[in-house]
Amino acid sequence: MKPPYTPRVQRSYVGAYRPRIDGIEKASGRAKYAGDLMLKCRVPGLLYAKVLRSPFPHARIRGLDMSQASQLRGVADVLTFEDPDVAGLKSTNAGWTDGVDTLSYERMMWRRFRDRRVLGSHARWVGDEVGAVVAAESEEIAEEALRLIKVDWELLPFVLDPVDAMAPGAPILHPELGDTNVLPEDTVGGADVFVDKGDIDQGLADADVVLHATTTYHNATQNSLDNWNCLIEWSRDHITVWSNSYEAHQTRMHISEMLDVPLNSVRVVSPYVGGQFGRGDTGDQPFFLFTALLAKRTGRPVWFRHSRRESFHDGRQHVCYEGTIGAKNDGTITALSFNSIGNVGAYADHSMFAIKFAPVEATEVAFAHIPNVRFEGRGVYTNKMPACMMRGVGNSQLNLILGRLVDGLGEELNIDPLDLACKNFGHEWEQLPNKSLVTVLRTGAARISWKEKRHSAGEGPTLDGVKRRGVGFSFHPGWHAEWQELRRGEVHVTMTVNADCSITLDAPTVETGTGSNTCNVLGCAEALSFLGIGSGDIHWISTVDTDASPQDCVQTDSSVSFLQSEVMAAASKEVKAKLLERIAPLLEAAPAELDIDAGFVYRRDAAGCRRSVKELLHEASLDPITVAVSRRPLGARTGIPFIDVRRCGGQHRHWPGAGPSARCGQRLRDCHVRVRCRSPADRRSVHCVG
Amino acid sequence: MSPSVTTQETVVRPPGLQLIINGQICRLDTGSSVAPTTTLASLLREHFALTGLKIPCDQGACGACTVIMDGKAVLSCMVLAVEAHGHEILTIEGLPSDDCIVKAFAEQSEPGYGTALQCGFCTPGFVMTARALLDRVPSPTVSEIKEALSGNICRCGCYAGIVQAVLHASEIMAKASAR
Repeated sequence: MKPPYTPRVQRSYVGAYRPRIDGIEKASGRAKYAGDLMLKCRVPGLLYAKVLRSPFPHARIRGLDMSQASQLRGVADVLTFEDPDVAGLKSTNAGWTDGVDTLSYERMMWRRFRDRRVLGSHARWVGDEVGAVVAAESEEIAEEALRLIKVDWELLPFVLDPVDAMAPGAPILHPELGDTNVLPEDTVGGADVFVDKGDIDQGLADADVVLHATTTYHNATQNSLDNWNCLIEWSRDHITVWSNSYEAHQTRMHISEMLDVPLNSVRVVSPYVGGQFGRGDTGDQPFFLFTALLAKRTGRPVWFRHSRRESFHDGRQHVCYEGTIGAKNDGTITALSFNSIGNVGAYADHSMFAIKFAPVEATEVAFAHIPNVRFEGRGVYTNKMPACMMRGVGNSQLNLILGRLVDGLGEELNIDPLDLACKNFGHEWEQLPNKSLVTVLRTGAARISWKEKRHSAGEGPTLDGVKRRGVGFSFHPGWHAEWQELRRGEVHVTMTVNADCSITLDAPTVETGTGSNTCNVLGCAEALSFLGIGSGDIHWISTVDTDASPQDCVQTDSSVSFLQSEVMAAASKEVKAKLLERIAPLLEAAPAELDIDAGFVYRRDAAGCRRSVKELLHEASLDPITVAVSRRPLGARTGIPFIDVRRCGGQHRHWPGAGPSARCGQRLRDCHVRVRCRSPADRRSVHCVG
Repeated sequence: MSPSVTTQETVVRPPGLQLIINGQICRLDTGSSVAPTTTLASLLREHFALTGLKIPCDQGACGACTVIMDGKAVLSCMVLAVEAHGHEILTIEGLPSDDCIVKAFAEQSEPGYGTALQCGFCTPGFVMTARALLDRVPSPTVSEIKEALSGNICRCGCYAGIVQAVLHASEIMAKASAR
C-alpha cells in the first residue's frame, strides 16, 4: 500500500491527482492525429510519396534509369538527385535545434556538421534516403515504382565500429567535411576535453583504490506508435504542412529557410501527436523538403509517412565509455574520469549533444563535490543508422558507466553503493549530503526492499532456469529550471474571457502525451480562481497552427508546464485588471476601488456588497476580453529544487547486458510519474512522462 | 472507395462486399475496387473514415487496430477486407457515448498507478480489447486482464493504469447490473 499523496501547499487545482483533460477525447477515439486527417476521402487529389532507400551500407549512385518507374500507371511525379529542384538545395543537418529554440539555417546548432543532402547520391547506411522519391496515387503504386527504378550502384568499403573508423585507412564517410571520420570540435559542445576540473592525475594518486571500467551502450529507439508523417499542400506560393512533428514553428523555419520562401508563406499545423520520446528533436528532416517539392510540382497534396520499419530509423546512439574512479578507503571519491566515443552513425544530427551535454550537466548537479573530474568525448561517423536524441539525452549512456564504477567501488571497499552515492554526489549549491538525493534514494530503497534483495554479482536467484534478477538504482539528478530554458526566448500564452465567463486558453504546445495540456488548464484554473470558475470552464486549444498561434513551447526538458504556468500567472493579473476596467462603470466606481473574489465583484471599502462577474459581464459589452502575454524565462538561478518523487523505485528491471547486480533503476525524467519541484523562490508542478 | 491499391493488373472487384459496421449495413458499390491485399483496418479508416483505430504496425504486433468482429476482438490489420464480408464489425465509434470502459480509461488517475493513457494513440485498441474481454468475462482477475491485453502495446507505458481502468470498468458494470 502506497502512502497517500499529500501536497505541501493545499491549492484548489494544483497538487492533486486529476484526470487528463483529453481523457474522453482520446479514450473514445475522437482525438484526431495528423494521420487521421490524411485520408483520401477527406483530401481530394491526395498523392503518396515514397523515397528510395539504400540497400547497402556505403555506396554511390552512378546513375538512375527511371523510365519504367515513371511510366507506371498511377505515378504522378518522380524527383531525382539530379533534378535542379533538389540538387540546388543547401547541405543541412537534421538537428537545427534541440527543440528549445527556433533556429535559422545560419544559426543552427550543428553548423560544423552540415552533412546531409536532400536526396543525395552518396548512401552511407542501409536505409539512407537517396536518389529518388516518387509521388503516386497510392503507397503501393509508389512502392512498386521504387522497385522499377534501375540503380547503378558503386559499392564502397564500409566501417561499422567507431574505433575501426578512427584508424588510418578507414573508409571516409564525409570527405566533403574532412579527411577523418572523427567529428571536428564544435562550437556547441566544446572541445574534446570538455570538462577538466582539478588535477585528475593527482586525484588518482591520492586514492587508496582506483578502478577502471568500460561500457558500450546499445542502441534504443523512440519508436512512438504514431509513425512520423507529413501532408503538404503548395498552392499559390503558400505551403501548408500538417504533421505530427512536435515543433511547429521550427518546422516552419526549416522549410522556409531551405526552400527560400517567406516565413509567412509556410503554415504548419500540428494536432495531437501519438508519442515522440525525443524523435522530433531531429525534426529538420529532408522528407519535409522533398514532399513539399513534390506538392509544388504536381499541384496536389502529397503525404509522406514512415512505415513501422522506417520508424525504427532513429534512436539513442551507441556510446562506448571508458571510466576511471579513485577513492579513499572511507568511500570519498577523489577522482572521476570519462573518455567516450560516440558512434554517431552516418550523420551527426544531435549526437554531440548526447555525448557532451549530459556529462556537463551531471558535473553541476551530481559531481560538484568531487575535486578532480575530467571528461573527454568525441563523435565518430560510421556506416550505421544515425541516432540522436531520446528521452534523457545522453544520460542513460553516462549512467551505465557511472553505475558500473560505483558498483565496483562498493564491492572493492565493502560499502553499500547507496551510501557511496549519498556520500559523494550532490549539487553545486548544496552541502553534502544532498538532501534531495538522500531522500529519493532512501525512500526508493525502502520501497524496493533494497537491503533484503541486494546481493553480490552472480549470487542472486535464478528464475525459470535462465533469468537473473537484481535490484538497482540510478542517481542522475537531472532537472531543469527556468534559467536553463533561456534559449527558448519568449513563452506565449493568450487567455480569452468570453462573455459567459468561459475561458479560451491558447498556451501553444504540441500535445505529445506529456500531459502539459492538463497542467496548463489546472494552472489556468488556479490563476483565474478569482473568477469562481473550474477547470471544466476552460477550453485549451489543442492544435498548434503557425498561422493562428503564437510560437509554440516545444515539449522538451519536462519544462512546458512550469514555463507556461509562469506566464499564465502574469496573464491572470492582466485579466483581472481588464475585467475591473470593463465592469467599473456599471458599478459607478473606479477600477481601483473594486476587487474580484470567487466569481463576485465587490467594493474594497464595502464588504458585503457583491455582484456576480458573470452577470456584470453580460450587462457590459459582450466583447471577449483577450490578454496575450509573452515572457522570457527568468535568468536568475533561484536555488536548489527539492524533488519529491512519489513513485520511482517501485519497479526494477534488469539492465540488458549488465550483470545481475548492476544498477538498473529509472531516471526521474523517465519514470512516468508526477513529481513536484520546489525551489526556495517559487513552487512548480511538473508532470514527468516519457 | 479509394482507387486501386495495387497495380492495375491485380485489381479485383468482388461484387457486393457487405458488412455490418456499428449496426449499419454497409455495401461497397459494384464500381468500387478492393484489392485482395486491402485490410479491414485500411477499409475502415480510408473508406469509412473510422479513424479511432490506428495502424501503427500493420503486422499484428501492436493491437492499436483492434475492433470487435462477431463479438470477438480481432486485429483489423490482420483481417482482409474481403474476409469481413458478411460479418458484424464494432469499432470504437460504435460504442455508446457513456461506455463504462471509455469513461474508466478517461478518468483513471490514481496514486501508485497513474493514468491509463498519455498520448492516447494506442487507447482505442486497448478499449476495444477490454470491451471484448468484459463482454465475455464481466469480472476478470488482474491476471485475466493482463492476459487479454497482452497483444496491445502502450509505448508511453501506462500499463498499471490501464489494468486499473479495466478493473474499475468491471466494477461499474457490476454496480449497474446489481441495480
